[in-house]
Amino acid sequence: MTAIPKRASFFWGKSAGERRDVSLSLAALIAICLLAIAISPTAFDGSRIFLELGNLTDILRQVSIIGIISLAMTFVILTGGIDLSVGSILALSTSVVALVLTHWNPGGAQPFVIAVAMLAALAVSTAAGAFQGAVIALFEVQPFVVTLAGMIGIRGLAKWLSNNANIDIGFGRDVASTFAGIFRGKSVIIGCYIGLALIFGLLLSWTVFGRHVRATGDNERASRYAGLPIRRIKVLVYALSGLLSGVAGILYAAENHQGNPNSGIAYELDAIAAVVIGGTRLSGGKGTILGTIVGTLMIGVLTNMLRLNNVDSNVEMMVKAVIIILAVAVQRQGRVAQ
Amino acid sequence: MPQEILRISDVDKSYDGVRALRGAGFSLLAGEVHALMGENGAGKSTLSKIIAGAVRADRGSLLIDGRVVTVNGPLDAQKLGISIIYQELDLFPNLTVAENMAIANHQFAEGGRVRFAELDRFAERFLKQVGLSISPRRPVASLSIGEMQLVAIARALSMNARIIIMDEPTSSLFDDSVERLFRLISDLKSKGVAIIYVSHKMDEIFRICDRVTVMRDGSTVGMRAIAEITPAELIRMMVGREWKARERPVRQTGDALLAVSGLTTRKLRDVSFEVRKGEVLGIAGLVGAGRSSLGAALIGLDKWKRGQMTLHGRPARPDSVRKAFKLGLRLLPEDRKLQGLMMQMSVLENCTIADLGQLAPDGVVRRRREVSAVQPLFLHLTLKAASLRAPVGTLSGGNQQKVLFARCLLANPEVLFLDDPTRGIDVGAKEDIYAIIERLAEQGKGVIFVSSELPELLRCCDRILVMREGEITARFDAATATQEDIMTFATNPVSSGEFV
Repeated sequence: MTAIPKRASFFWGKSAGERRDVSLSLAALIAICLLAIAISPTAFDGSRIFLELGNLTDILRQVSIIGIISLAMTFVILTGGIDLSVGSILALSTSVVALVLTHWNPGGAQPFVIAVAMLAALAVSTAAGAFQGAVIALFEVQPFVVTLAGMIGIRGLAKWLSNNANIDIGFGRDVASTFAGIFRGKSVIIGCYIGLALIFGLLLSWTVFGRHVRATGDNERASRYAGLPIRRIKVLVYALSGLLSGVAGILYAAENHQGNPNSGIAYELDAIAAVVIGGTRLSGGKGTILGTIVGTLMIGVLTNMLRLNNVDSNVEMMVKAVIIILAVAVQRQGRVAQ
Repeated sequence: MPQEILRISDVDKSYDGVRALRGAGFSLLAGEVHALMGENGAGKSTLSKIIAGAVRADRGSLLIDGRVVTVNGPLDAQKLGISIIYQELDLFPNLTVAENMAIANHQFAEGGRVRFAELDRFAERFLKQVGLSISPRRPVASLSIGEMQLVAIARALSMNARIIIMDEPTSSLFDDSVERLFRLISDLKSKGVAIIYVSHKMDEIFRICDRVTVMRDGSTVGMRAIAEITPAELIRMMVGREWKARERPVRQTGDALLAVSGLTTRKLRDVSFEVRKGEVLGIAGLVGAGRSSLGAALIGLDKWKRGQMTLHGRPARPDSVRKAFKLGLRLLPEDRKLQGLMMQMSVLENCTIADLGQLAPDGVVRRRREVSAVQPLFLHLTLKAASLRAPVGTLSGGNQQKVLFARCLLANPEVLFLDDPTRGIDVGAKEDIYAIIERLAEQGKGVIFVSSELPELLRCCDRILVMREGEITARFDAATATQEDIMTFATNPVSSGEFV
């Protein structure tokens, strides 16, 4: 009578609809890659520059920061929420990590100082996210409004802490430089992204928490009737969003050798775009981490392709806009039948 | 012989590769009330939606007045004189009654200026026809479900329809509103309006319909004149097998299981009752009488202002849903779409969502474990689902309700509060649900069964409480009570005859 379902495939989504959405995004990503290969400029030996290992890993490094933010953004959007404060939290994190390393150096061995600086940045970022989540959950204010306020207020906090100045991290042998030296490495950045993607993919598809996140976004009222801890779930997803924005901030500070209170502007939009291209519904309840990764890579490959061909960066933005609409429209078409 | 005004034939329709209709057909004469019957998932709703232009068929032809027409949307259908009243009322909650009636109405040109006084007069005319005396300026969200149902009917009338499709129009109406609706239907009939009446309620069909078309598994099984068929034959056509109505079970009830005294909440006043082991306690009352509020209070959703509760004689208080669950209480909510199901999630996920804490104590969900916990319940509930992985939204109403039953029963609760569990589901599925309730009573559980249909309460319950305006107004032994007794205590003595 009831068919015994096949094993849940990792990352791949639980329902037929989700799998179709992810397959569509994957197909689009492959199409863009093929196009990129086709029109790629060639090196002296006739090989395609796009396909060079260095170029491919460059793409990964470039998408890693937005990619990391969009992992947690997927969770937020799955609950039916949105987090506009991620760019500001990134800026706060860059400022805190740079400040601890350069001004408030607690003393001690270099690894210890670096650990303290990073933990401080992550703690502040997570707290900022959790606080917003608590306001959303306890006062039932719309996430858009709360995180819009957060986006303004947290940016203010970052600027206030740093006196609205960049905090430079040098290239010498001091602790700050060591920190930058470690965390600006391509493999470290890409490794962070891949590691976090695995963790968040597992979190969403294999844990009770992930299931609760989707249920809350699918039908909050029914979730209340089913006894789910809705407030705790909401606080947690915004805390996770803060945490990953903090991680992104640390990587940003290392890569750019500075804490910058004006960094991360409009990152929330890029992250939301990646999530949406990946097939997650803005109304919540349905979406996958794999989809978000594919969405992130699509933007990354597209940017790389256009830059390799010397396309004007303003045109690049216009092309991106078209891709976002196309991706979502195609997924939408597939769902009309439902 | 009256003229045939609608004929639809050879209709195929698939959703995501699942066939909903297979060569279905239907024909309608002017001025007749034509019942469309079938079990859940038989394709009645899909066929209705195709006629109303809300869904497009993959194949098939539609003739209106003998001419082939194409309908590309609801507005097209409206212009042909077809309107539909959905079971899930498609009103705009934040707009007023009058605005709801004018919106998407082809008589009001788009882009035109709104003259509110004119709009009011327009709305009032049709509200009067359905016997609703409310201000057309009231927002729909402030109305009761029964009133909304009548507004939806008034809206259909306001579109000058010649063909009105009514999908379970009485599912949220109580007796005198139903009478009013029936009078309205015979009135419309005499004016030559044809009505497609989708319902599961046998007594209604035999009272008001002229002919009946039965569907099964996406195909049309047959068409009969009501005068020439018996209910048993009709049911046989629907289910395709022999069907026997169950007798009222004789039960021995045990010790007191749950006792509530003086329960007072925002919506309840001084409610006291007890449920014994193995007892089915019925709750009757109009919509809004506090039936659902009682469920909300027992399950920890509504705050208790006053009152005591004991379980097995020991004091207990459901302060939160979690706490109520721990005490062994479960609720099957009234509105499965709004309060029950996560429509985008799979059947399996919907079954286990409330009990993941027990199924996955370490926080890691293991599918195999979920499946083995759910599968015995599926056999029990005679639940048919193509796959546990299918989104629950693709199931029929009756099967969706069974998924919610599975969710309730997964943790083997002691007391179940079933809030109108047979609302809007077909005869076969209703019988299944009665059987489930009986079995739960046999297992010694306490079942509280809320229903708008008195016959089913009289048949399934041991005792029946009647509620009105948040209070219990009467208690009956179900073996001796009559529908009239119950109605007397359910309706307001001062303004009896008013609508719910």
